[in-house]
Amino acid sequence: MNHDLLQPETRAEALAMLAEYGADAKILAGGTAVVLLLQQKLIAPSVLVHLGRIAGLDGIRHEDDGLHLGPMTLLRDIERSPLVDEHFPALARACGSVGNVRIRNQATIGGCLAEADYASDPPAMLLALEAEVRLEKAAGVRILPVKDFSLGFYSTALDPDELITDIRIPPLPASSRTGYLRFKARSSEDRPCLSVAAVADLENGACADLRVAIGAATEAPVRLTEVEGLARGRALDDGLISEVADRYALQVEAIEDLRASAWYRRQMIRVFVRRALEGLRDGDR
Amino acid sequence: MVIGRAVPMLDAGARVRGTLPYAANLRLPGMLHARILRSPYPHARIIRIEAGEAAALPGVAAIVTRDDFGPGGLNPVYGSARDETVVAIERVRFVGEPVALVAAETEEIAEAALELIRVEYQELPAVFDVFEAIKEGAPVLHPDFPANLLGHAKLRHGDLEAGFAQADEIIEETYTSPLAQQTALEQQVAIGQWREGQLRMWTATQSPFTVRREVAHVLGLDPARVQIIVPPLGGGFGGKGNVRTQPQAAVLAWKAGGRPVKLMLSREEEFVTVTKHAVTIHIKSGVRRDGRLTARQVEVHWNVGAYASSSKHLMSAGMLRCIGPYRIPNVKVDSYGVYTNLPTAAAYRGAMSSQGAWAHESHMDSISHRLGMDPLALRLQNILHDGDQFATGETVHDVHFVRCLEAVAAPIGWGEPFEREPAPHRRRGRGLAVMMKHTLSSSRSECALELDNTGRLTLYTSSVEMGQGAHTALAQICADELGLPIAAVAVSGPDTAVSPYDTQTASSRTAFMMGNAVRNGASALKDKLIELAAPLLGGSPEGLAAGHGLVFIQTSPDSCLPYAELLKRSGKGTLKAEGSFQTEGGIDPETGQGVATPHWHQGAGACEVEVDLDTGKVTVLRYHAAAFAGKVINPELARLQNDGNVIYGLGPTFMEQMVVDSGQILNANLSDYRIPSFLDLPSELGSALLESEGSQIHGLGEMTLPPVAPAIANGIYDAVGLRLPDLPITSEKVFRALVEGHDGR
Amino acid sequence: MDGDGVILHVNGKDHRIASASRRLLLHVLRDDLGLKGARGACGIGVCGTCTVLVDGRAMSSCLMLAAQAEGREITTVEGLAEGEVLHPVQQAYLDHFAFQCAYCTPGFILSTIAMLDDDPFAEQDAIRGYLAGNLCRCGSYLNILRAAQAARDSRGQGAGAS
Repeated sequence: MNHDLLQPETRAEALAMLAEYGADAKILAGGTAVVLLLQQKLIAPSVLVHLGRIAGLDGIRHEDDGLHLGPMTLLRDIERSPLVDEHFPALARACGSVGNVRIRNQATIGGCLAEADYASDPPAMLLALEAEVRLEKAAGVRILPVKDFSLGFYSTALDPDELITDIRIPPLPASSRTGYLRFKARSSEDRPCLSVAAVADLENGACADLRVAIGAATEAPVRLTEVEGLARGRALDDGLISEVADRYALQVEAIEDLRASAWYRRQMIRVFVRRALEGLRDGDR
Repeated sequence: MVIGRAVPMLDAGARVRGTLPYAANLRLPGMLHARILRSPYPHARIIRIEAGEAAALPGVAAIVTRDDFGPGGLNPVYGSARDETVVAIERVRFVGEPVALVAAETEEIAEAALELIRVEYQELPAVFDVFEAIKEGAPVLHPDFPANLLGHAKLRHGDLEAGFAQADEIIEETYTSPLAQQTALEQQVAIGQWREGQLRMWTATQSPFTVRREVAHVLGLDPARVQIIVPPLGGGFGGKGNVRTQPQAAVLAWKAGGRPVKLMLSREEEFVTVTKHAVTIHIKSGVRRDGRLTARQVEVHWNVGAYASSSKHLMSAGMLRCIGPYRIPNVKVDSYGVYTNLPTAAAYRGAMSSQGAWAHESHMDSISHRLGMDPLALRLQNILHDGDQFATGETVHDVHFVRCLEAVAAPIGWGEPFEREPAPHRRRGRGLAVMMKHTLSSSRSECALELDNTGRLTLYTSSVEMGQGAHTALAQICADELGLPIAAVAVSGPDTAVSPYDTQTASSRTAFMMGNAVRNGASALKDKLIELAAPLLGGSPEGLAAGHGLVFIQTSPDSCLPYAELLKRSGKGTLKAEGSFQTEGGIDPETGQGVATPHWHQGAGACEVEVDLDTGKVTVLRYHAAAFAGKVINPELARLQNDGNVIYGLGPTFMEQMVVDSGQILNANLSDYRIPSFLDLPSELGSALLESEGSQIHGLGEMTLPPVAPAIANGIYDAVGLRLPDLPITSEKVFRALVEGHDGR
Repeated sequence: MDGDGVILHVNGKDHRIASASRRLLLHVLRDDLGLKGARGACGIGVCGTCTVLVDGRAMSSCLMLAAQAEGREITTVEGLAEGEVLHPVQQAYLDHFAFQCAYCTPGFILSTIAMLDDDPFAEQDAIRGYLAGNLCRCGSYLNILRAAQAARDSRGQGAGAS
């Protein structure tokens, strides 16, 4: 291959390299996306900046302001983390749904967010959890909510000279439940046709907060905040569930790909939003 | 006795150690790496090719274009229909057709060279659909075939109109099966080396002698100057049954003048190199109220792709595989092979019977529902028995379709009540299917057996080991015939310079054909051993027998000589004998009447499926398969074939479809083109091997595959009352049919 | 050692390989080290024929640059047997006829080893789920399941210490 492979040992070194090369550089995190794109000649950066030697970029920490995921944390480790299972079990499920076990042993949560593959599972869950990404460049730091980070089809707000250095998931009230469902229309080992990430804060059976994110069906994961707002203060009963499911099916602009037509996706959005909300009501954590 | 025992594969140790010597592993000194420049257009004239800049790239050793062929030079044309060229000459006929070949020091350099080759095309109109292709005014692919019709195989049996006149009900339907791919995990690979006017090639192929013939033809050589060596394959499934990549590797090797050239396809290239025929099958049956079939008419349009390859033969074979194992007095089949601007199609596991059974077995259930009859009862009413006449006019013998059906219906619990509605949004149903296939009617297998003076036997065979356990099964036959322990038998080949002729390893013919050749060879070897032993044992040859590892006097067996000792005392290092077996047959090209096969391959399947009404997703809960094996040589290897075929069959049923847009394959990778994974298996999967005293060995390479799709479709009908005529059965198709309340036909 | 070289620790031994850091680990294993057990059947990490263990984790060597494997313990199928004695998982695959063409077999064996290290008491559903990322076109899945269960059951009986 015709690129240079740079292997910084510290975060500062990496940032300096990104500042120097900018759009000519491509960050190599786990590699499952970048190495594939290089092999298929879909990208041809002059420089690869490999983050694998930098200490401290991985790790899962629970602090007062929520759960922190280092960007180089492997999806497999999030999948199996007792901390994640304790606080956000649906996130473990979402990360554990990606690809196959080998992919999850190599792919990182930061890389996953930065790649913005529309069929990938974690971004939809992070959107529903209202996670924030910490972006750092040589010149400074900024924080973006995931909804402002994932912009579209393989497109994010990440600047060429920026690194994701942390992902923070704010704590949820104790009365919250999380759920993650995905639907594979063809083989059981396929990329998903659709995923639904849901979070509900149910106090005495009424929704103090409802969040439903759709993934794999649109260019970027999406929530319909107006529809979610309809749930506030209401019981999560069949009537509300149907209403939310119907509106999502109507309003989400589903895409068409090899796995499903837009029409079928919409119908499945209705089915799986309903199933996800029923799951929350009936006891998903 | 080793036959009937679950002997591990002879090279099982290498398989689990990862040291099996697949062709791709071969490294030869000075080996070059090849890449193919492929057409981006489905149909275009080649105006100009300029490869000068590419040839000048450091590290490029050889480039081949159409300029390398012509009078006095290499012959560009190959293939059984002589319509295919090593590289495109005057025009390209499908996206992906080879236009130029490069051999270089590394793959990277070869890739870079491809980018430097300039080709100017003039696009021509293209056609992809069989019905569009046979219309007046359609783009013509081959001047000799102005209607794009490669051929028309015909079967005429009885009086079709009279048959329909006798019917109380006539059912007419159309079924389709899409373009798909054999998808062996090991890609096509060929390594050629030219030396002193001879070509030696290592390649993953199911047909070493066909490859030898075609490569010799291209190079203008006597076939004896071409040596094809075939290591164990990483799967074949029909995709390696024809000449693919070998001519390209051979010509590059010739041009590289002595340095070996390795050509191995990427996964993406596999999809434009060989495919499974897309097909439309129109099937019409007449039936009496009591269930007796009176007539069947089938019209089949096979999408051949751009070149014939073996489609002429397959069209005719497919004609026989669209009828079904039934007693039907009046049958008419018209089987058309149509050229289109798509990659070349060839045999896919089950060769045409996978598509044929999809149609005739789905259709049988439609008939049973029209009559209000149980689908199993309808089949049993019409199924062929020993002594019945098939649509080719031949009398069928050693057929056990009833047993096959019973062997799957019983474990499924056919006819017994079961939970049909386990939840408000889930419905269950049961379905079954039966298939019949002929094997090659005319073919020949030869082998050689060489015994040495340590008592070890080497079997030389050109049967290809591709995971089915062919070499192990043949060794078991060898061992039993001679009375040797299996550990004393080694199998060598294929190597066309050493192992004798075999037609090919396909059509589930090996255990039967080569098995019989081995028996004959063993018998000849025993005769030679007896002749050798007579003077030493002091008797006439008539009084001697060979077996159990020794030659002995029949009337006093204690007077005996073990083979090793016999050879030593006779001053012989080795003793060699040959065996062969051949079958003849054939059907009339105008009527399809004659002898289609030495014996019939028979299989069945039954399943219980569940349909999720909310999503259309179909889950196969239980599946039972059965195949008639005649005699099982190795029960574990046989079971692997049987189970493996069912699992393979889940692919075309649910997920395998090449998606084409203007001739471009959109899903040429294993993420977008799915093959069955662990999680696609039914929770309950069983298979039975049926034997019969005195039966010939019947091959097992394909039989439980064709019933899978129709059995499942029949189960779906039983569950939700919808008939799905177009493969694959996707959740979306089922959902759409449920929503629209009908099958959309 | 050129700037592009790597030191790879494979099956317990160090190997210095020049001009390799940016090449795929799969190609370095096959072409530089002659370890042909890992194969490249899909090029995109879906089929599992390229599986190797890196620090005990199953990974797709077709999706890793050799540089990413530096400083880590790489195990290929060739590193499992000790002379004539097969690794217990290899033996289980042999005993249960868990292969046909065997192109996928090294990947399955390594994945089974990694799975049992992760989940020594994996039940059928867990085994199917873990191994779902390895494709077998010949359809040997049922025997593979039996082999994995047998390997699981023979661990902790002294026969399977790995």
